[in-house]
Amino acid sequence: MEIYIVLKLVWWALLGVLLIGLAVMVGMDMGVGAGLRYLGRTDRERRTVINMIAPHWDGNQVWFILGGGAVFAAWPTIYATAFSGLYVVMLVLLWSMIVRPLGFEYRSKLPSQRWRNLWDVTLFISGAVPMIVFGAAMGNMLRGVPFHFEWNMVSYYTGSFIALFNPFAVLCGLMSIALALYQGGAMVMNRGTGVIRERACNLLTMAGLGALVLFTVCGLWVWLMPGYVLTGGAEPAGPAMPLRKTVQKVSGAWLNNFAAYPLLWLVPGLVYAGVLAGIACARRGLSHVAWWLGALAWAGTIGTVGTAMFPFLMPSSTNPGHSLTVWDASSSATTLGWMLAFTAIFIPIVAVYTSWAFWVMRGKVTPETIEHDEHAY
Amino acid sequence: MQELETVIALSRTQFAATALYHYLFVPLTLGLSVLLATMETIYVISGREVYRQMTQFWSKLFAINFALGVATGLTMEFEFGTNWSTYSHFVGDIFGAPLAIEGLMAFFLESTFVGLMLFGWDKLSRGKHLLVTYMVALGSNLSALWILVANAYMQHPVGSEFNPATMRMELESFTALFFSHEAQAKFVHTSVAGFLTAAIFVIGISAFYMLRKRHMAVAVRSFRVAALFGVFASIGVICLGDALGFISGEGQPNKLVAMEGLWETAEAPAGFNVIAWPDQEAMENRFALQIPYVLTPLVTHSFDGTITGARDLVHRAEVRIRDGIPALVALETLSDNPNDRDALRTFRIHGDNLGYALLVKRYAPDVTQATPEQITQAARDTIPPVGPVFWSFRIMIAAAFLMLGFLILATIYSLRGQITEKRTFLKIAPWMIPVPFIANEAGWVVAELGRQPWTVYGQLPTWISASTHSVGYMIFSLVGFVAIYTIFIIVEMFLMVKFIRKGPDDGPLPPAEPAVAAPGHTSQWSQA
Amino acid sequence: MKNILLFAFWFLVGLITLFLAIVLGEAGAWYLAWVLGTVMMILIAATGTVILEVDDEQDRPY
Repeated sequence: MEIYIVLKLVWWALLGVLLIGLAVMVGMDMGVGAGLRYLGRTDRERRTVINMIAPHWDGNQVWFILGGGAVFAAWPTIYATAFSGLYVVMLVLLWSMIVRPLGFEYRSKLPSQRWRNLWDVTLFISGAVPMIVFGAAMGNMLRGVPFHFEWNMVSYYTGSFIALFNPFAVLCGLMSIALALYQGGAMVMNRGTGVIRERACNLLTMAGLGALVLFTVCGLWVWLMPGYVLTGGAEPAGPAMPLRKTVQKVSGAWLNNFAAYPLLWLVPGLVYAGVLAGIACARRGLSHVAWWLGALAWAGTIGTVGTAMFPFLMPSSTNPGHSLTVWDASSSATTLGWMLAFTAIFIPIVAVYTSWAFWVMRGKVTPETIEHDEHAY
Repeated sequence: MQELETVIALSRTQFAATALYHYLFVPLTLGLSVLLATMETIYVISGREVYRQMTQFWSKLFAINFALGVATGLTMEFEFGTNWSTYSHFVGDIFGAPLAIEGLMAFFLESTFVGLMLFGWDKLSRGKHLLVTYMVALGSNLSALWILVANAYMQHPVGSEFNPATMRMELESFTALFFSHEAQAKFVHTSVAGFLTAAIFVIGISAFYMLRKRHMAVAVRSFRVAALFGVFASIGVICLGDALGFISGEGQPNKLVAMEGLWETAEAPAGFNVIAWPDQEAMENRFALQIPYVLTPLVTHSFDGTITGARDLVHRAEVRIRDGIPALVALETLSDNPNDRDALRTFRIHGDNLGYALLVKRYAPDVTQATPEQITQAARDTIPPVGPVFWSFRIMIAAAFLMLGFLILATIYSLRGQITEKRTFLKIAPWMIPVPFIANEAGWVVAELGRQPWTVYGQLPTWISASTHSVGYMIFSLVGFVAIYTIFIIVEMFLMVKFIRKGPDDGPLPPAEPAVAAPGHTSQWSQA
Repeated sequence: MKNILLFAFWFLVGLITLFLAIVLGEAGAWYLAWVLGTVMMILIAATGTVILEVDDEQDRPY
């Protein structure tokens, strides 16, 4: 097999890893933010909850930044087309995300209750909105996005932004926020005690079950909706030029890969297994196991979308021939190679020091410890 | 066409506004992280409590600033895709790599350890906490490194080639990209400018305390550290700025003429325009105050060099535009038939000037029909707006020398032990804080406005780089950014001032009272 | 065992430093200059406080 094909496939897999990393790590903090007013009833409790993720949210958020950067580097055409096409949605995502650092950093700097309530609202918005948009973006990729290119690869988006919030995409968004709440619940259980821990356990259970229902509904919907099939012209080893192929819309085509390789049904199976086992573990107090099972469920969710769509990444609903696929939307072999080398070196290093950071800050966070810690938020 | 021009103008406004805003916070992060590491090093070696208080106080201000740096940095990461999608596709193969590496290598380091730095005081040993602080400093400076490698590519595209099969620039040599002189000089200049910013910031606030006789132990020591650090930074930033100007002048003569307000080609010895009133339309200075002989050695680093002026550069651009037109025509043929031999051959000959042909496409949608007037107009576009670049450049230089003088005085007073008596100096010092910020912004304007009309110098014109949005979308996003960012800066300034007024948490610690010093405080210092 | 690990660690640091110095000295002189210059600035600034503490202890004004 040609090296360029291997690189494209590796980067397709790495894109998945990145999205899973993003969903698990950032999603966890966003789940905590979105569930803050439920998890903590008094200001003391809320501060306790916030301080559980205080030392880590910034590092976790880098998964989000890296997601953007890596798509830019490895899939520049996707980066350019998706980010500009989904303009208004991306801005909503961005604006809700940029108030988050301030919410964490500034909330507890003043004693005023009104000040803190205000920042609580921003933490809720900046937790819920980005995860909904994240899921909705995935949903829109499954549906196809109305865009096309000119001969010189200038892209045009021809849909309205309201159309991006279609019912299917919204369901996917809700599924995404539900899994984030599950993950946030697991995190708070890990580091919380007493009543906070109990509430986190309830949140985790409800969110997990909700996620499963939504996942099932979305799955049935995908079965009924038109998928995309490559019918010719796309050379796996060819240059990254998406204008020279033919694509057909076929109802139910997103299940073709599963039909061809029935073993792939295990991927969506991971979601059910992860969430159900996770809830069971959490209710027995094994919240760390529940956290890892939640990560597994995320892997299953994103894996399901990936396997269903392969080799498509971003189908065009108005001009299917211009759809972006694994074969024609990547960087050059040189760039993919260099990026792979950097990723192979730095991701393990990042994993090591991130684990070390979590280990250093390990232990329970209680209202009492917050009172005595002058460095706490 | 009219709508396109409006969208471009709005996209440029939005990018400039968000980048300038982001750049208010970045230099302070770059420099203050290194100063924090310095202060904490002294704490770990000497073991004296006062240096711990000092580090913790400045790290509180660091955190307030850092939060906004991170928040506004998110915008930058996504704005290339949302607003400059044609640009992103055109150079994503090269430009995306340093951005991704920045995330991998720098942001993770900085952001993971900043949490430990702020929250880990009681959980880490002194040595380990010091290591963490150094990692934050290293991470923030590495992120500057990679983003400037990416930026240097826009200024001076090296290590890449246009591939007609994919309609974009593709990476040829990663090492050429990383070791490009433009990238190196840019990084060093920018990073050290950050050091200087932080030094002035620390000095200004310390002076504010000294003037009121508050927190004297922390203030006097912070002042000393920052003055010595800053005086070297200011010397460095001036020397490196000169070197960067030299390198940029070679790669981007059009930026150089804008910086110097130079319309006619200047034989040695040429005079340096201290102040001038450039007239872009007439291509001359309506008024200029010159120092004779200075410009030639300043710009060419020699006594007999010739500096090409704007008028001659326009003539050169006309030649390149005419040469590039066949390449654009051939490219259109290749988009239908990628194996057309004639077109491939034509493209190989003229491809270097493809970007220049795109310049004239702005006025003549069918470039083969371009009139001589349209070509001249496009060629004149290659001279960036001289007035703003010229004046930003002078503001930056004036600020740099002002800070140099200020820091030399600060160092002398501090070392002589007179600083607490120099009340006038202490009164001026807090008012110096805006100066480095103004200089940083002016430097950004010189670098990026001086790059116009290109997004990628000589390769991709700005007018074709933006996403194809409607005017309505752009107004929506611009209004949104202005609203959010205005609220941000108000909140930030409010908290910053509040925490500065509160001051370090020094409790009952009069300066130099051995009884309250930490256990590490022995006579070893006196012997050292 | 601890000594061996420490030795190995610093040996590795030394190797990386050497490697960086050679590569940067060859192709990226400016980057090398930044590393050296920053370290120098940190050390000089730190030394400044040493002088301050000495003055302080001998009751001279600072």
